[in-house]
This record gives sequence, structure tokens and C-alpha cells, in this order.
Amino acid sequence: MARAIAERLSATGTVNALELRGVTKRFGALLALDDVTLSVRPGERRAILGSNGAGKTTLLNCITGDFPASSGTIRFFGEDVTRFPAHERIRRGLRRTYQISLLFGGLSVLDNVYLACLGVSRGRFSLLRPRRDDALVESARALVHAVHLDEVAEKKVAELAHGQQRQLEVALALAGAPRFLLFDEPAAGLSPAERADLVAILQGLPAHMGYVIIEHDMDVALRVVESVTLMHEGRIFKEGTPEEIEADPEVQELYLGHGRG
Amino acid sequence: MAVARPGLPAATTAGETAGGIPPSAWITALVLVIMPALASDFFLVQVFGWALVLGTIALSLQFLAGYGGMVSLVQMTVAGFAGYMVAILGTSGLTQISLGWPFWLAVPVAILLAVLFGTLSGALAVRTAGIYTIMITLAIAAAFFYFTRQNETVFGGFLGFNGVRAPVFWGIDWRSPVPFYYLCLGWAAIAWGLVVWVVRAPFGLALQGIRDNPRRMAALGFDVTAHRIAAYAFAAFLAAPAGILLTWMNGQIAPGTVGIGPVIDILVIAVVGGLGRPIGPFIGALLYVLLRIFALDALVALGLSGQRFQLLIGLGFLVTVLFSPDGILGLWERARHRWSAPLNRGGR
Amino acid sequence: MARAGAMATGEPGAEGGGLARRVERHPLAALLLALAIVLFLWLVLADWPEELERWLGRKRVFVSALFNGITLGGLYFLVATGFTLIFGLMRNVNLAHGSLYLFGGYLAYSTVQATGLWLPSFLVAFVLVAIVGLLLQVLVFRHMEGQELRQTLVTIGLSIVFADLMLWVWGGDFYQIPTPEWLAGPIDTPIVLDVRPNGEAVYLRYPRVRLVIFAASVVIGVLLWLAINKTRVGMLIRAGVDDREMLAASGVPIQLLFALVFAFGAGLAGMAGVVGGTFQSISPGEDTRFLLASLVVVIVGGLGSIPGAALGALLIGLAEQFGSVYLPTYAIVFSFLIMVLVLAFRPQGLLSVR
Repeated sequence: MARAIAERLSATGTVNALELRGVTKRFGALLALDDVTLSVRPGERRAILGSNGAGKTTLLNCITGDFPASSGTIRFFGEDVTRFPAHERIRRGLRRTYQISLLFGGLSVLDNVYLACLGVSRGRFSLLRPRRDDALVESARALVHAVHLDEVAEKKVAELAHGQQRQLEVALALAGAPRFLLFDEPAAGLSPAERADLVAILQGLPAHMGYVIIEHDMDVALRVVESVTLMHEGRIFKEGTPEEIEADPEVQELYLGHGRG
Repeated sequence: MAVARPGLPAATTAGETAGGIPPSAWITALVLVIMPALASDFFLVQVFGWALVLGTIALSLQFLAGYGGMVSLVQMTVAGFAGYMVAILGTSGLTQISLGWPFWLAVPVAILLAVLFGTLSGALAVRTAGIYTIMITLAIAAAFFYFTRQNETVFGGFLGFNGVRAPVFWGIDWRSPVPFYYLCLGWAAIAWGLVVWVVRAPFGLALQGIRDNPRRMAALGFDVTAHRIAAYAFAAFLAAPAGILLTWMNGQIAPGTVGIGPVIDILVIAVVGGLGRPIGPFIGALLYVLLRIFALDALVALGLSGQRFQLLIGLGFLVTVLFSPDGILGLWERARHRWSAPLNRGGR
Repeated sequence: MARAGAMATGEPGAEGGGLARRVERHPLAALLLALAIVLFLWLVLADWPEELERWLGRKRVFVSALFNGITLGGLYFLVATGFTLIFGLMRNVNLAHGSLYLFGGYLAYSTVQATGLWLPSFLVAFVLVAIVGLLLQVLVFRHMEGQELRQTLVTIGLSIVFADLMLWVWGGDFYQIPTPEWLAGPIDTPIVLDVRPNGEAVYLRYPRVRLVIFAASVVIGVLLWLAINKTRVGMLIRAGVDDREMLAASGVPIQLLFALVFAFGAGLAGMAGVVGGTFQSISPGEDTRFLLASLVVVIVGGLGSIPGAALGALLIGLAEQFGSVYLPTYAIVFSFLIMVLVLAFRPQGLLSVR
């Protein structure tokens, strides 16, 4: 019920896809996230920029529930998910990719995507083996196609090139019916051609699918977003459009000046 | 980790590759089925029956350890619990405790309760991950053992229950050697088939994904904890009937059946046989039973006391873990590899 | 990978702050704890009203269960602290720890039999069992670093082998290490058990050896805590518990440190065996019993934490003794219930290091 209302509200644009208030994360004495307040509209595409150690990946981990925030609240389409375990958030339409490789190396590409489709389906506990024309297998094939991996669909992931593994990451995040996505440096280590491919995939996502992207490559990041948030030492210190951010002298000095190595 | 684990089977191509059953499997199955024509009653029950039962209990451990990454020491306890339940609900020599239910009621209820027990144990064990599992399940097993020993009113104390008999129906005494052998073989085959089937079904695939990468699985929408607990429930379902068969075989159930020794023995059987495939535990069990029966004579022949059996078991286990972590199965597969393809695999 | 499983559930940063801050953060819990302490002191010190005696039985029973529980806790602490120390630094769940305990007990028994000297038997047990621990670390475990499960399986195999070797040498008999004369007999404590009608107070008399050994285990605990928190080696150990990669990178001879800690932890278990052999008795099977006690103690207290081992040991010791006095058939369930509750609500243990 509450979810239905939230969905209707979000359709009219009054509820944010993502709403963070005062999110703080401590690791022992280290303050990784310091009172982060952030809201992202449904369908909005936002880049989070910042130097290494600014807390970007920690922020994603808190949003998805990979580890819980120390304090603050996180709302996803109006629903308070702060205390939800990761899988509950995923089942509500949140998706993410990982910067570090967390793929199933011993499985084929198709099987990796199949697991992703299974995770957000009702058949998770099924004791019946999938048939070849299984709906989940079909949707897995479609996703493999969508990220241009058809040629290596039956190959083991461990044998894939780095760029292909990054594309597979994106495919895993697109399984099911995502409502909002978090991309953690999807372009890291990609060749220029692969970057162009990635940009095409991101730009080709349905308009209602908003996302947050962490990206070091400004050429990628600023081409696929409409708003930018800058983080520094666990805090948010500036928000704006890509043009504003690029033109900002303070930003030039703090980040763009020496963050691109 | 070092102990062998089977790779994830392919989900999306399962239908195509499952067809080929090797001839050795057919021959093994045939030999097992016609065994009563070949073996004496002693071998039928005391060797093969016992090995099949222990193998099934160890199989439930292999399922959890090999496919779920959870080395559970509570499997013998679950089996023993089922045995206790059959004695308590059904008939035994301890008439003041046993309720005297007919077997068709006592057996299913006993299995159900044992599955519940195994599930609860699992729910406790999965609260923490990794190496904690072995500690917590060992503590649960020990608590149950000490409890049965202390508790007179329900579990019959130190002596437990004797006179627990297998049922007689359709004019067959199911404890007589040949029918009992088929009971053991039947459940072992079903349990083996279930494991082989389940590890390729979505549930089994998810479990193996969780074993390899729990964090990623949670990020794909899987409830890691629920899957692990469900795996414990499934494993308990495999072990419980085997525990009942073991109780019928011995005609009794006592704390000694669920003591720390037997609990560890199941681990030894599974690891020595090999955690890589469901057949491993049965190989380990057969070896264990043969040792158990014939090592005594061998030890005495060597001038040692028959009590040194445990030393033999311990050393065998140590050698396996140190030198062939994937058990006899792994040893066999490596040997076959080396002999069949010496040219293209020179380096290994 | 090495530490992914064990401590991942720990809430980082929950340990910060002193007593005052904790009280501030959990005022209700602090109040309840204070009330419990007051009630407890009253139970021990006051002359019990009749109503209470009807409820709980004679005060003598209660107080001696209390003393037995605390002193048993001291013994459990001695065993479990070595276990927890070894785990904390090396991530090695040593399931042969109970065998080391029993081996220490047997060694001390044989020493006392041969020489009649009780105190030196501690030294013998400590040194010889420490050597076993040293050999295990150097010959076996250092070659399988990071393979937690395999190490644990090896320790299981070792415990089977050790158990049978000890059975071979010492047989299946029960042995008790005789208490030396200067520690034998009871001691008068200032705790009033009862007041006779003529106004004369009856005081608790308690075995001197148990009190002395308990005091010794407290001293060992405090010394250990000081050694770990105030010395350079202790600092290294703590650094290793927190971050092994960092310790390895800092150029410390990490293998030497590992070997020393393993030897020390094993030696402690051996010494505990002497205590156990004097308190109670030693026989085949005691290895498993004390291994399990250690397991439950460290699961309750928090694996890798020495204060946790102390708290866990005290709780389990008390639970066992009160259980066996007030609910004999279900005594084992008590310590088990504590473990279940801890696992359910604080799976990383009460005083987890992280």
C-alpha cells in the first residue's frame, strides 16, 4: 500500500528517487561520510565527483546497504530503507555496479546474468531446473545482447577481457526492472572505443531510469549526466549542472586541476 | 579456500549437458542393486548398509560444505535427533517414555522435527560466517550430546533407548538383511539424486553463488541468510531418515551415537571421501566402515592394541587434509588425468 | 579474505569512549547493571530473610555455587585466553586446544608423581606444551597461512591423534593432581552464611587452593592485558589483530611473532591443565570438554578479545555451577542458552574487538 502510494507520488514528481539526510559513516576513528544530505529526482542522472578517499564508494555502499550507515536516513522512492538489508533494497528496484570485480569467474556470461535475473525474480528458491526456453534465461539473453556481449555469452567470465567484464557489470545491474541505478566507476580501465560503447549504453537507458555515477573520466561523466555533486573528505561541497561545475574556479583548483591523473 | 569445492554448474545449458551418464555409474548402480545375490548378510548390513547410512549423513555435510561453503558439524546430531524422535514417538524398550505411535506416523513426524532442529541450528550458525560455522555447530552438537546424557525424562539419560525396531508391514520384516539393505540403498540413492538435482536448480545455483560471493549475491537481490538456512533445512532432510535407519540398524539410540566422536567421524568421512562431488562421502564411508571392521585384526597383527583405531582414523584424516585436500576423489581424478593425458598436461 | 568472515558483522566504532560515555549512551542499561550489582552484593553479604531461603534454598548452597562458578570461570579463562589469543593474531581456530590442556594436565601429574613438587609442574607443563605449540606453528600452520578452514581441519585431525596417543601413554584412568600441603584445606572467608539462634555467625569455609588459583588467574589475566596494551610486543600483536597486511609490511619478523604467540597460547592451555587436574581431575574426554568450554566462552565473549574471554568464562562458569545446583538435569542448557542468546542478538560476541 505504502509502496503503491509512493510510486504514484514519484510519478507526479513530488517524491525523490533517492533522499539522503545526514548520512554519516564511521570506520573506527575514521569519518568516511560526514553528514551527507542529497536528493535525486526519479529519472535524474547525476555524477558524483571527488578525489580518491572523498567517500564516493562508501556513499554507494551505504545507499545499497552493503554496509549500514552509522547515522542518518536513506529514502528510496519515499520509503525509508535505512535499516533494510541490501537484498530488500535491490528488490525494490535499486541496482548497482561494483568497481572491484565481484563477478562469478567460474560461470559463463549468460549464467552470471541469469543469476542476476533470478535474484530479482520469485523463483529464487525454486527446486526446478530451468529449461532452455525459461523466461529468466530469455531475459538474461536479452540483457547480454543489450550490453553487446552476445559473442562471448557462453564464455567463462574469468576468460573475458577487462572491458567485457565491465560491460557484464552493467548487465547485472540492469536485470529485472530497475528503478534507479548506481554506477561505481564503470569506465575504469576501458579503452576509448569501449568508453564510447559505455556512453552509448548509458544514454540508451529508458528515460525513467535515473542513476548516480561515480566516474573519474570527466569526458564520460559529464556527457551522461544532467547534474553533478562534488564530494571532498566525506562531505558534499558543491552541486550544479555540468557546465557550472566545469566553469567553477574553486572546482578547477580542487579537483579538475590535479585529479585526472 | 583450500578444501575442494565443486565449480558452479552451468545453469542455462543444464538441459544439454546432463544427458551423459558414464558407464562406470551404470555398473556401480547395477552392482549395488544385485548386491544381495553376491554378499553375505553380514556384508549386506554391517558393511554396505552401514556405509550407505553414514555416507548419506556425510552427504548432507558435503552438500553444505561443498556447495554452501558451510562446514557443519551438526549433521550427525540431526540424524541422531531423528533417531531419538522415532524412539520417543514410536516404540522402544523404554515403555515409560515411548509414546507407541505407529511407524507411519512416528517416522514422518520424527523427520519433520529433525528438519526443524537442523533448520534452527542452521539459523544460529549463519548468524556469523566463515570459520565460526564449525565452532558453533560443534558447540550445538556437544550441547545436544551432554543434554541427552543428563536428561532422563525425555531422552532416557546415559543408556538411551534400546529395542527400537524397524517396522514390519506388507509381510516383510524391514530389519531383516535384504529388505534393510534396500531401505538403506533406496534412501542413499534418493538423497544422492536430490543433491545432484538441486545443485543445478535455481536454489542450488544461488547457494553456490552465495558460497563464492555473498556480497554480490545480496546486491543481486538474494537473501543470503535465508538461502543458507534453507540449505541447512535441506541437508537435515537428507540426514534425518538416515539417522532413523541407523537407529533401526543398531536397534538402539543412545548419547554415544551423537557424541563428539561420531560427529567428527562424519566430517572425516566427508573430507576423506572428497567434498567435491556427492559421491565422495559414500567412498569415504565405505572406507571408514571397512577400516572400522578390519583394522582391528590388522592392528593386532601388527602387535598394537585394537584401540589404536582412532589413531589410524586421525592420521588418515591428517594425511588427506595435508596432502590431498579434495579427498580420495581428488586423488583419483588427478591420477586419471595424469595417466589418460600425459602428453598435453606435462606440467601438472 | 582472511578476515572477511570472522569479524565482518562487527559494528566498527562501537567500542570508542570510556565508561562515562557508555553510561551516557545507554542510561537504562547502565542503571539496570548497577541495580543488578547492588542486588548481587546484598545477596552475598546480607543475612538472608526466611522468605528468600524458601525461594532459593539455603544461602550456603547459593554462595558456594557462586564461588565455584567464579573459580571455574577462572579456569575457563586460562584455557580460553590462549585459544582467543591464537585466533586473534593468526585466524587459526585451534580445535586441538583441548588436547593441549589435557596434555599439560598429564605432564603435571607425572611430574608431581615423580618429584612430589607441585609448583614446578606448572613450569614443566607450560614449557613442554609451549614447545608442542611452537612446533605446530612452525612445522604445520605457517605453511597454510590464510587457509582458515584447512588449518581448522588439521587441528581436528591432530586432536584425534593426540587423544589416542595420550590414551596410549596414560591409559583411561582418572587422575587427580594432589594439592600441596600448604594449599590444602579450607580457608575462612568473612562471608556470613547463617546466624545461629544464639547470635553466633557461621562463616563460609572455602578450599584455599581454589581461591589461590583463582587469584592467580586474575593476575595472569591482568598481566596479559597489560602486556598486550602497554608493551611493544603487545602493540605488535594488536596491530596484527587489526591489520595483518600492515604488520607484515612494517618489517616485523611476523613469523617469529606468530610462533611466540602460538607457543604462549599453548603453554597457557598446558598450565590450565595443571589447574584443572588439581581442581577436578583429568581423564580422556576432558580435552573435548575443555575445548567446548573454550568455544562457548569465546563465542560469548567475542573471538579474539581477552576481556571478552574473561567475561565469557565468568558467565559460563557461573551458569554451569548455578545450573547444576538449581536445575541439575538442564544444567548444560544454561551455558548453551547464553551462547544462543549472544548469537541471536550480538553475533560478534559481547566484547568483540571490533
